[in-house]
Amino acid sequence: MSSILQNLVNQPYQHGFITEIESDVAPAGLSEDTIRLISRKKNEPEWLLEFRLKAYRQWLTMEEPGWPNVKYPKINFQAISYYSAPKPKNKLASMDEVDPELLRTFEKLGVPMNERAKLAGVAVDVIFDSVSVATTYKAKLAQVGIIFCSISEAVREHPELVRQYLGSVVPVGDNFYAALNSAVFTDGSFCFIPKGVKCPMDLSTYFRINTENSGQFERTLIVAEEGASVSYLEGCTAPKFDTNQLHAAVVELIALDNADIKYSTVQNWYAGDENGLGGIYNFVTKRGLCKGVNSRISWTQVETGSAITWKYPSCVLRGDNSVGEFYSVALTNHHQQADTGTKMVHIGRNTRSTIVSKGISAGHSSNSYRGLVRMTPAAAGARNYSRCDSMLIGDQCSANTFPYIQASNPAAMVEHEASTSKIGEDQLFYFAQRGIGAEEAVSMIINGFCKDVFQQLPMEFAVEATKLLGLKLEGSVG
Amino acid sequence: MTGTEAGSYLDSLIRVQAQPPAAHSSPAWLKQLRARALERVGALTVPTTRDEDWRFTDLSPLTRLSWHPVQGAPQLASADLERLSLPEAAARLVFVDGRYAAQHSFNHSGLTVANLPAGMAEHGASVEAHLGRHARFEQDAFTAVNTAFLHDGALIVVARDAVLEAPVQVLCISTQKETASYPRCLVIAQPGSRLTIIEEFAALHQGACFTNAVTEMALADNARVNHVRVQRDSEAAFHIGNCAVSLAHASRYHAVGIAFGARLSRYNLNVLLAEEGAECAIDGLALIGGRQLADSHTLIDHAKPHGLSRQLHKCIVDGSAHSVFNGKIMVRPGAQRTDSSQSSRNLLLSGKARVDTKPQLEIFADDVKCAHGATVGQLDAEEVFYLRSRGLSDAAARMLLTYAFGAEVIGRIGVASLRRRLERAVQAQTSRAA
Repeated sequence: MSSILQNLVNQPYQHGFITEIESDVAPAGLSEDTIRLISRKKNEPEWLLEFRLKAYRQWLTMEEPGWPNVKYPKINFQAISYYSAPKPKNKLASMDEVDPELLRTFEKLGVPMNERAKLAGVAVDVIFDSVSVATTYKAKLAQVGIIFCSISEAVREHPELVRQYLGSVVPVGDNFYAALNSAVFTDGSFCFIPKGVKCPMDLSTYFRINTENSGQFERTLIVAEEGASVSYLEGCTAPKFDTNQLHAAVVELIALDNADIKYSTVQNWYAGDENGLGGIYNFVTKRGLCKGVNSRISWTQVETGSAITWKYPSCVLRGDNSVGEFYSVALTNHHQQADTGTKMVHIGRNTRSTIVSKGISAGHSSNSYRGLVRMTPAAAGARNYSRCDSMLIGDQCSANTFPYIQASNPAAMVEHEASTSKIGEDQLFYFAQRGIGAEEAVSMIINGFCKDVFQQLPMEFAVEATKLLGLKLEGSVG
Repeated sequence: MTGTEAGSYLDSLIRVQAQPPAAHSSPAWLKQLRARALERVGALTVPTTRDEDWRFTDLSPLTRLSWHPVQGAPQLASADLERLSLPEAAARLVFVDGRYAAQHSFNHSGLTVANLPAGMAEHGASVEAHLGRHARFEQDAFTAVNTAFLHDGALIVVARDAVLEAPVQVLCISTQKETASYPRCLVIAQPGSRLTIIEEFAALHQGACFTNAVTEMALADNARVNHVRVQRDSEAAFHIGNCAVSLAHASRYHAVGIAFGARLSRYNLNVLLAEEGAECAIDGLALIGGRQLADSHTLIDHAKPHGLSRQLHKCIVDGSAHSVFNGKIMVRPGAQRTDSSQSSRNLLLSGKARVDTKPQLEIFADDVKCAHGATVGQLDAEEVFYLRSRGLSDAAARMLLTYAFGAEVIGRIGVASLRRRLERAVQAQTSRAA
């Protein structure tokens, strides 16, 4: 088969360009002084500085994890610049005042934020290298009491809320990268949905890494109070650089009684060239806490970018009858490495979780699913269903599955299934019989393979994701 | 001698063990093998829960115990032997506390079924080619300790195209408390041969003891071996077993591993499908209660194309017991057309019992069919109801269903008398639990 299967990957990265904006960059290196500098630059209250320093001191005692199934040269944390913000100008009153260079960047990305925001009815909180520069639809959200702003703004405007929830799901010393993030995070999004409010629109953030050698440490915090619901979208692209960039974000979700949070991600950061040179290191901690009864947290992710992905969006199901979901498509090509999956920790009674993971590996890439399902002794009547399927394209790639199942409650049920397959010649032949060329056939087969996950995405994202997989695999199938 | 406490524990094992009595008569290569293993013992340490492979199995209770040298001659009462013997067996090798008991052993099979030092006289070259070559001791502390003491052991050589329908039994019995034994077994199945081997580990006391067993099997082209391993050590025992199997072209290996006993047991089974068209089927059953821990790690390594593997592992866990299963299936680059499936089924019978299971796939070839599944749960309420609607008591219904769950694995054993004996043991244990 294979000339078609062999052409499907070599599309150059379309979003590789660097915007020249004056940046206010801190000198490289990490010390308590750097953290004090970040905190001072952002005019932060004392408690947040304490939070950062506590995290930093824990981080110093921790070791870089060696267990993920990925290989990369050791990161020199002292060579990274931990603060980079566009030079503060006067406060912007309207979109017209936003740096035109910046707007052009978004246009190149296909995200003309004013238009797209209107067309799609999406409120976009744009993060450009760590500092939020423009927020739309804020007024409309404010009418129903929703707070949606950058986390620095939230620290200024709503310190009591941030203080209450920040670090409550991912403690400062949770893991090596979460501790690093807690110490040096510069910006991110904050979203608070008050009691009984259904968010009237999908919320989304675009992350973009700019400025060579500045690791990005985003912090996202979403709180849904009793009976609230929200759907949050995150989409990522990054310019093309040759040195690796570290990205260690932390995302915390909290759902109180009967609340519902849906978090969708499309990640397409620069993955390095076909020889594995460059690309983003994406070491992310994402965790949701179903704190209240009948709450629900749903993660959907389409991971196609980054040289290395190390990411386990998790749910801690503490409230009785709470529900955790994880839907994932991870595609790796060339020399990409992905070690991704989820953790479902069942604590409350009758908690339920569903895991659907689809991994596609092509080229010389390595794609691992690593998941944990834990039934604690209190989780009577809990249920889990997991399904992880892998597809291999070419014989130089690998697909691995590491599902950990830990059960200590006899009244809990855990089911796990996994399979590995390839695109069969008989399948391609069937398409050929009906006049469909191999490339199109492969694209259709892959979309069918990922259907269960794409169905979970909001519509615009589903379209984007389908296109993205096609682009990513172009040239590798044949 | 390493500085750490765990390292010195391995040294203490070495010190207690008496030197093999006839060590001076061993061939030079065997002396070298022992010396190399001893060297590794010095460099290795007892694994801790910080090692990924031992995350759920804490060996620190073992390292707090010390063992005495074995006393007297290997001897068994005839009633005990009677209870453990199999009427079908064509040959039997008995090891008491790790030492060969010639008076209890027999061989009517026409094959080489002998203690290692005796068998080596005839099969020196092939023993040298296989002993210590499959169960690698470079990274495994327990295999290294076993190899460093290598003396007595079962040697079974099945000649080319020889077919033995009746089973060969290898009995390893612990009779003395607070001792350590190091059973060793080597099976060489020459091309086209067939063999059924029953390895059984049992204790005649309720005290603590330490069994560190190593088994190696080499199957040549078209050979077929059925391997049944029964572990019924005492409830205070520590049992660590390593088994390494190498499969040549179109050979077939079928294993059934049963673990009932021991306070802490760990069994590592590594099967290498070294040539094209090899097949293996691996079944396992752990039936534990009380404060027992049963840990089973298997590796099915598909190194060449057209391999086939099937695995079913079941655990029935009661009381405060803890079962661990880690089943790794590796498909190496180029091992195309591999067909592999694996299933881990676990029955939790009590609120304090715990199951950790991790089926694991690592695949480096694209034209393969691999699947695995895992379930953990309790007895199906509808099935219990169905039996109760037919007049069975709740306890009887649960016992019957639990028994049936385990019987699926036992039913795959080809030796009728052993199957019956194990079924009775499962019944006894499940009725005690119910």
